Amino acid sequence: MPYKIKILLSVFFASFFLAGCMEWEYGLEEDFAASGEGLFITNEGNFQYGNASLSYYDPETKTIENEIFYRANAMKLGDVAQSMIIRDGIGWVVVNNSHVVFAIDINTFKEVGRITNLTSPRYMHFISDEKAYITQIWDNRIFIVNPKRYEITGYIDCPNMTTESGSTEQMVQYGKYVFVNCWSYQNRILKIDTETDKVVDELTVGIQPTSLVMDCNNKLWTVTDGGYEGSPYGHEAPSLYRIDAETFQIEQQFRFTFGDAPSEVQLNGTKDKIYWINNDIWEMDVTADYLPIKPFLPYQETIYYGLTICPRTGDVYVADAIDYCQQGKIYRYSKDGELIDEFYVGIIPGAFCWK
Amino acid sequence: MKKRYLTYILLLMLFSANAEENSTNYDVHKKILIPEVTVYGKRPLKEIGLQQTKLDSVVLKENIALSMADVLTFNTPIFVKSYGRATLSTVSFRGTSPSHTQVTWNGMRINNPMLGMTDFSMIPSYFIDKASLLHGTSSVNETGGGLGGAIKLSTKPTEQEGFGLQFVQGVGSFYTFDDFLRLSYGNEHWQTSTRIVFSTSKNNYKFRNHDKKINVYDDDMNIVEQYYPIERNKSGEFKDLHLLQEVYYNNKRGDRFGLNAWYIYSNRELPMLTVDHGDDTDFDNRQREHTFRSVFSYDHLAEAWKVSANAGYIYTWMAYDYKRDLGNGVMAHMTRSRSKIHTIYGKVEEEYHLHKKWLFMANLSAHQHFVESRDKNIILQSGGKGIVGYRKARIELSGSASIKWQPIDRLGMSVVVREELYGKKWTPVIPAFFIDGILCKKGNLMAKASVSRNFRFPTLNDLYFLPGGNPDLKHESGWTYDAGLSFAVGKKDVYTLSGSATWFDSYINDWIIWLPTTKGFFSPDNIKDVHAYGVELQADLSLIFPKDWRLGLNGTFSWTPSINQGEPRSPADQSVGKQLPYIPLLSSTINGRLSWRSWTLSYKWCYYSERFTMSSNDLSLTGKLPPYFMSNLSLEKLFLFRWADLSLKGTINNLFDEEYLSVLSRPMPGINFEFFVGITPKW
Repeated sequence: MPYKIKILLSVFFASFFLAGCMEWEYGLEEDFAASGEGLFITNEGNFQYGNASLSYYDPETKTIENEIFYRANAMKLGDVAQSMIIRDGIGWVVVNNSHVVFAIDINTFKEVGRITNLTSPRYMHFISDEKAYITQIWDNRIFIVNPKRYEITGYIDCPNMTTESGSTEQMVQYGKYVFVNCWSYQNRILKIDTETDKVVDELTVGIQPTSLVMDCNNKLWTVTDGGYEGSPYGHEAPSLYRIDAETFQIEQQFRFTFGDAPSEVQLNGTKDKIYWINNDIWEMDVTADYLPIKPFLPYQETIYYGLTICPRTGDVYVADAIDYCQQGKIYRYSKDGELIDEFYVGIIPGAFCWK
Repeated sequence: MKKRYLTYILLLMLFSANAEENSTNYDVHKKILIPEVTVYGKRPLKEIGLQQTKLDSVVLKENIALSMADVLTFNTPIFVKSYGRATLSTVSFRGTSPSHTQVTWNGMRINNPMLGMTDFSMIPSYFIDKASLLHGTSSVNETGGGLGGAIKLSTKPTEQEGFGLQFVQGVGSFYTFDDFLRLSYGNEHWQTSTRIVFSTSKNNYKFRNHDKKINVYDDDMNIVEQYYPIERNKSGEFKDLHLLQEVYYNNKRGDRFGLNAWYIYSNRELPMLTVDHGDDTDFDNRQREHTFRSVFSYDHLAEAWKVSANAGYIYTWMAYDYKRDLGNGVMAHMTRSRSKIHTIYGKVEEEYHLHKKWLFMANLSAHQHFVESRDKNIILQSGGKGIVGYRKARIELSGSASIKWQPIDRLGMSVVVREELYGKKWTPVIPAFFIDGILCKKGNLMAKASVSRNFRFPTLNDLYFLPGGNPDLKHESGWTYDAGLSFAVGKKDVYTLSGSATWFDSYINDWIIWLPTTKGFFSPDNIKDVHAYGVELQADLSLIFPKDWRLGLNGTFSWTPSINQGEPRSPADQSVGKQLPYIPLLSSTINGRLSWRSWTLSYKWCYYSERFTMSSNDLSLTGKLPPYFMSNLSLEKLFLFRWADLSLKGTINNLFDEEYLSVLSRPMPGINFEFFVGITPKW
């Protein structure tokens, strides 16, 4: 073979060494021992990018640990972490577009099991140790599951919804009845008999009730967002509703200004005050007859995305999603409105869960 | 590693065995030509100051399985963001967004008017005869709105006599089948061509899923074991059909007529995310599309002037269905989205040469869009059925006038003034100025510089999508500056070497971003001001060696900081001064083509640096995508018989079986193979 050809071939094949191995940082399982009080923050992440995460904050030491699910389990949490609840030392993290609910140890953050193949889960509510409901969007059924076996055991059909327009959200229980707000292109609160797993009644409220809680007087509170301009479902001024759980009747409707976008109704630990976001952060006694005039925390050049109240101290935690494409920030205020702490978490911190 | 070395050895053995073969009389001139070096003193007036990358037919016709996304990935400095094999592939030109790249096909803009971007995975490279990239300011010569640049795609007559037929069959990994058929006829006046590409694949490639684990439980439902599963790409099957009919007539008295009609049918499943814990048999996530594009063109050429007129029509029907099995075998719609787009297009253009030193050009184009979007079926409060969507029409006019002047051989200047109308809104005047000059005739060392202002109007979805469309959006605007050097040397039938280095600097204001709202949907707003700047390098080398050996090498390198310089969204905003997400800072490509008689060995390599997934550039576990190198290799053998030309070609994609991601949670295929047989009968 001529010398020049040999050089030619050498140059050609040497170029193959331009290819290199990529270094992937697959997580190693990390050990945690988070005893004591704590606050879980579910960070939604960006839809379709699978970068949801779970953060854990210790209010005592004011320390934050981010991506704890990934770090403890060496796998991703999934796509759009929607909500979390705790029962008997197990945290149940609902990951909407991954069609899964993870069960984790709340001290080690290790996975102990999972419920899979859900349509598009939003919230979970326990009826007993062996029975829980999981609400869905884009499905007209609420899934009944056995949390001990991580199995889907049945469905509750919701009336006047198709799969495409199905939307059930947050649940609260009064006696043997569970109440659930129907949000996307809906305007109802459903009442479910937990003995028969049937919808037994429904109450029409305003357009798109976004959240649901029950206060110390057994009154349900929900706030509507009023829809949006151009919506075929309608667009109206939003309202806050107080509903008697016993009679399932609206006791009082508090109207907001047309164009407002209230959300995230929350209760304090004694359940005698409600809080919500409407540009500012607002606080009101559950017995009040009028909406407050002054906010608890005024608007601070950002759009608040999540809200929770510490059940023990009354501290108010507000989530700022910033541009929805970076680590969000949590602000912790005392019940008097003084800033106590601030820390960064994951992308789009949307929901909280107290340990 | 063992697999890699085996591959090396295999290749070396294969190559040395072939090199010993004693074959003669092969026509190798189709593979690597060594053209004479262009003399820039006589360069076309039209190209004064242009920063342009032309893709030659060897690149475009490499194999029938390639889309333009693949071609751009391995042959240009553009970053291609791919959501997987045969799924949405968009481009980022100089650190801008996909909608900042304007794309034309035979002069007609084909960006989706609802989304603003173009899916390059839907354009088979075998359907494109000429492709060029107009970087930054240079795009103003073609169209407005190209804040990053423009990509011109076009077809051309085969210029053949009599009947022609070409058929290529490809069979590859993952049950992939690609077919290409071209029938053509030509005589002195007429040229016709019919091209068909049909591609199907189960696309179920294997990958180790590091994003999730499989649990093994004991009888008491305690986890006793967890492992990363080896999964297949679930729900990734696709079927794409493309049909292109062309008719050209040339009366040889200066009049040329052309008719191009391109039909696309695509039926693609949308693969599941790596973090999806659903059962793929219970879900059906699918996108279907029918698109028809047609352009009629007329050109009249005289000695000093040329006039052209084009008319065209585009129809696109797109369906997105997301269904799930309710447990009774019925697949119920979770999402049912439909959209229809009709676009009517017209363009007139005139060129006039004066004394070989002046060129005057003017053109006016119109795109009239009619769009209907039906995104969700709901039950109204009254109990009736309702549809969430919108129906809109918009006229888009774009007119430009330009003067090109070459006072002396060494110097050229050009001024372009463009004006655009979107609906009822006019852009401010879009000016552009270009200058180039020969610094040294020896080596054709040339300097170029240009500056332009540009604007991009919001897309129809930006303005009207329900929910979230924002009719109050402002247009995006920007200034771009370019400067560069190029050279070309060579010796006929021995070698050519050319290269260029370009610096660019762009400021884009009022960048439109979709953000979630407190009402649960996304809405666009003019959020960001971005400073995108950097350097692009390109080089080409062609060599001829004794005994019919030929080598072609070309490479590109880009350094593209694309920095958010907007106001902080809130006091906590950490994104200001940071690189935009999913834009690599560094990228590079190298192509090598080694020919010996009728054998050709091709090697393609590309590199993308780490990409951030967050605007704050956090280096968290999901905050970045690792850099990756990608290598493809192919070997082709031509057989020239009296009755037909026959080609056999084998390709290896992802040669080193790299695990890589272009987008979070979207698995990409490992090493895979495809074999092609092509036949071109001689009539």
